[in-house]
Amino acid sequence: MATGSKFQRKSNVGQRIPTSSMADIAFLLLVFFMVTTIFKLEDGLPVEMPKAEAGIQIPRERVSHIWIDRLGNISINDKLMHPEQIEGVIYKKLVENPNLIVAFNTDKQTPFDIVDEVMEELKQANATRVSFTADFERRGS
Amino acid sequence: MGVNFRRQKAMGDEISTASMSDIAFLLLIFFLVSTIFNQEQGLPMTLPGQASETARISQKNILNIDVQANNLVYLDDVRFGVTQIENEIRRRIVANPKLIVQLRVHPEAFYGTMVDVLDEVQLAEAKKISIKGLEVVR
Repeated sequence: MATGSKFQRKSNVGQRIPTSSMADIAFLLLVFFMVTTIFKLEDGLPVEMPKAEAGIQIPRERVSHIWIDRLGNISINDKLMHPEQIEGVIYKKLVENPNLIVAFNTDKQTPFDIVDEVMEELKQANATRVSFTADFERRGS
Repeated sequence: MGVNFRRQKAMGDEISTASMSDIAFLLLIFFLVSTIFNQEQGLPMTLPGQASETARISQKNILNIDVQANNLVYLDDVRFGVTQIENEIRRRIVANPKLIVQLRVHPEAFYGTMVDVLDEVQLAEAKKISIKGLEVVR
């Protein structure tokens, strides 16, 4: 401590960090989330997916989902339907997108006869690219 | 008391806002790191189209994998555990590269069992796979 002399203490160290850019940040964040948020397109049916190891990522844009639950209810685009209607619906989608991949989102305890019927319908609609959706699980055989 | 407290002039409500940009960036990084884009995974298959004729294939080039109503799996009528299928198929493909794996599933079997078997078949890198329903003799 100095003796006697008076230091002029600066009581206010400049507290002002320029905060003018905060509005920019806020809007950038907002725009980012607006652009990247994917709204859930479909509810589907409550389904317990089987597990598989050999699965591959299916590009989202080309997929149509067929939901089949344990009881055999079939839903496409959130519409319940009968197997006979599937061919028409899928055919329309195929016309819009020749590279269509049809994904089976099917409960693992669904009896196979329904799945077989749906597969027949798909064959008739000529939708040959098919994927069986399954959660990844390492099997270790 | 004669001491005059120097009244601090009412400072216009200035809460230090310097840390707000820190918070903004922390939030941003949190969401950047935690956003998962919902990507489904599945086993791909190509079905025969409408126009395909039934080709005639010699029996010896076909491996029949049957999934019965009780969800037991039989390779050419030999009972197998699901996890043993991959190795067996690999062996057979080495023995016969033209092998076609035909997966026949009983109508009352679970779809999940079919997926398990198909998983094994695809892990074994079999390229020619066919799936159909098992004919049930009533």
